[in-house]
Amino acid sequence: MRKRISAAAGLAALALTATACAGGGTSTPKSDAAAGAKSTGGTGTGTGTGTGTELAVPTGPVTITFEEAMTIGTLKPAMDKLVADFQAKYPNITVKLQGEPDYATMYTKEKAEVQAGNAPTIGQAYESWASYFQSSGVLAPISELAGTDTPPQLSTFYKGIQDDTKLPDGKTWMWPFNKSVLILFYNADLMAKDGQSEPKTWDDYASVMKAVSKDGVTGSTIDPGSATAAAFGTQWFEILAKANGAALYDKDGTPHLNDPNVVKALQYMKDLKDANALATGKNYPGETALGAQKGMFDISSAAGYGFENKTVGGKFKLGITALPAGPAGAVNELTGTNIVVFKSASADQKAAAWAFLKFITSPEEQAGWAATSGYLPVTSQALDQPALKDFIAKNPYETAAVSELDTAFALPGFSWIFKCQGYEATAIQEALENGKQPADALGTAQSACAAAKAQG
Amino acid sequence: MTIATEASQAAAAPARPQRRGPARDFRATRWGWAYSAPAVLVFLAFVIVPTGYTFYVSLWKWNALNPALSKFKGLGNYQRLWDATQPTFLSSLWHSLYFTGAMVIGGTAISLALALLLQRGGALLNGTRVAVFLPHATPVIATSMIWTWIFNYKFGLADWALHSLHLPTSQWLQSSSSAMPAVVIYSLWHEVGFTTVVFLGGLAMLSDELSEAARVDGCSAWQEFWHVTWQQLKPVTVFVVAITAITSLQAFTQFYQLANGGPAYATTTLSYLVYEEAFVFSDTGYGAALAVVLFAVTVFFTLVRRRTASGDSHALV
Repeated sequence: MRKRISAAAGLAALALTATACAGGGTSTPKSDAAAGAKSTGGTGTGTGTGTGTELAVPTGPVTITFEEAMTIGTLKPAMDKLVADFQAKYPNITVKLQGEPDYATMYTKEKAEVQAGNAPTIGQAYESWASYFQSSGVLAPISELAGTDTPPQLSTFYKGIQDDTKLPDGKTWMWPFNKSVLILFYNADLMAKDGQSEPKTWDDYASVMKAVSKDGVTGSTIDPGSATAAAFGTQWFEILAKANGAALYDKDGTPHLNDPNVVKALQYMKDLKDANALATGKNYPGETALGAQKGMFDISSAAGYGFENKTVGGKFKLGITALPAGPAGAVNELTGTNIVVFKSASADQKAAAWAFLKFITSPEEQAGWAATSGYLPVTSQALDQPALKDFIAKNPYETAAVSELDTAFALPGFSWIFKCQGYEATAIQEALENGKQPADALGTAQSACAAAKAQG
Repeated sequence: MTIATEASQAAAAPARPQRRGPARDFRATRWGWAYSAPAVLVFLAFVIVPTGYTFYVSLWKWNALNPALSKFKGLGNYQRLWDATQPTFLSSLWHSLYFTGAMVIGGTAISLALALLLQRGGALLNGTRVAVFLPHATPVIATSMIWTWIFNYKFGLADWALHSLHLPTSQWLQSSSSAMPAVVIYSLWHEVGFTTVVFLGGLAMLSDELSEAARVDGCSAWQEFWHVTWQQLKPVTVFVVAITAITSLQAFTQFYQLANGGPAYATTTLSYLVYEEAFVFSDTGYGAALAVVLFAVTVFFTLVRRRTASGDSHALV
């Protein structure tokens, strides 16, 4: 036995030595690697502020790859149309879509492709993902493509969208893509039958939720999220906290998860749960419950309109309205992702990618994209386009939703914020499912988030 | 040529002396190494080196996208095991042991019972054997997705069945107290088919004589099982326990699909935590440290089992 253990230990030591010799890490980062992390890469300036010269659209044949997750429902035809329109305008550029079934799979694939030295040209990314890519030195800043950190197109976007393209270093590293805010879907027939009206404040909302929760109907069913993924329930909690006047996170990412106004938000949710007006579930449970006429409300992304409509299937009138307001006014949070450009792309691919990014955020394309996909246009100029005018005429909620894009917030773009949202989700689960006091649950989340920030 | 001719020729041929030297130990020959080289190389490339690499990575704050930016932390990642609060390392370890214990005890008992029930032949019992084994042949990820809906507390089959029988219903995967039992139920459903077949194989090898002698001596059915049948099945039981313990410690897919490690970390096991830290949060160094600890726990249980095993059981494991 001893001989066997010795042999195993020797083998492990050999493997350790072999892998150590193979490299892959250094006790002090190499200067070129560190510089690479800060560099804008390729033709960039190294400062991220740009050369002043925009990359020209390539004239020869170029293929760019796009890691994306717009592969289900109305999203796929909307995505395909964007690409078809672009390729019709630039026949020499081929956009090869690498569609994934969901965001988690897409992120895993993006990371694996970067590690394998085969990164896509562009990919969808949340702010925290972009932060991880940027800190690893694998992204090209927008300034490298546009020649400036503030290309003229940026100013045409809604204010909230503009802010969302920057990382905490203040530079533009992302370009907006599928953006949205949360809205309130409800069973309009049931609401009328119960003599209730659309809630305008969160207090109204709680009253209506409690009033309609009877005869097998629950006010709303939410997915609180999990340690590894935020869900609409997590974002609703964040919105409630902000609507109470809480800061949640400072710009440098300092968390305030045990702030009294944050605790108040979780207490609000717990009170609803204790009154049997709120339930929890997984896999878009609010949409399922609403469609099955077991739920009155569903707080979901405006982009979920097509899915909600399909689930309801004409069984009742689907009501849609903006989220209620809190003591601090109307608050909403951006949902959806941006697009990042990977540094390893060739100069021609970067130029083609920049042409593609500008093209898909042009007013004409944004109008078609918004009308088909359900996502919101990132520029107000799209509202004047015929395609979107028709859509808004049929879906008046769109006006209220886009009006919130100027003020909608996004969490600070640090890679570890992703973990903190997981701690928020866990606190919600602890309070709603395990009966833990909101202050205690959020105290734990605050400590864990502060530790995650310290770890970096 | 006829058989008779062959026989006569064989009889006429002078008898050659039968020289049977000692069997050659191929481990000591170049050909032995050459024949085993492909398997050794594959094992080295896909098991030994990655294992060693995991040890190495666990000593760093590892940047998987750009390893040159990694920072040496020494045993810092192992220190973090004790500092972590969401979840704590010990709670994850406990969840791994809880699941493993439930699978080893429950899985062994159920599969042994099923094997005893199904050991007799016949079309119906053979069909039942297939039915019992079938879940094991299905992909865990696919059947986990189906069981997510079975466990749905609003629309699911499990609560419908309990409600129909006038039994109390459960929140299943939605509650911290019932999530792990729900994962155990699913895992037992998926795994007992295999261990039942192993026990059936063991039962088929048993001698009837001992059982007959026991019955002649007046043993009850239980005494016969306990003192005769199961004693002979001990090597098989040891194999089942060892295999179930190792696969349970490493189980991941059902935790990922059914519960995402939740709610509130109630189903976060060590193997799920490795995935969460290394692949979701990209905290690769810390994830590697957790993987090393999981490796150590698995080795510990394997050594304990080898120490406590005796006799023929060595031949099986």
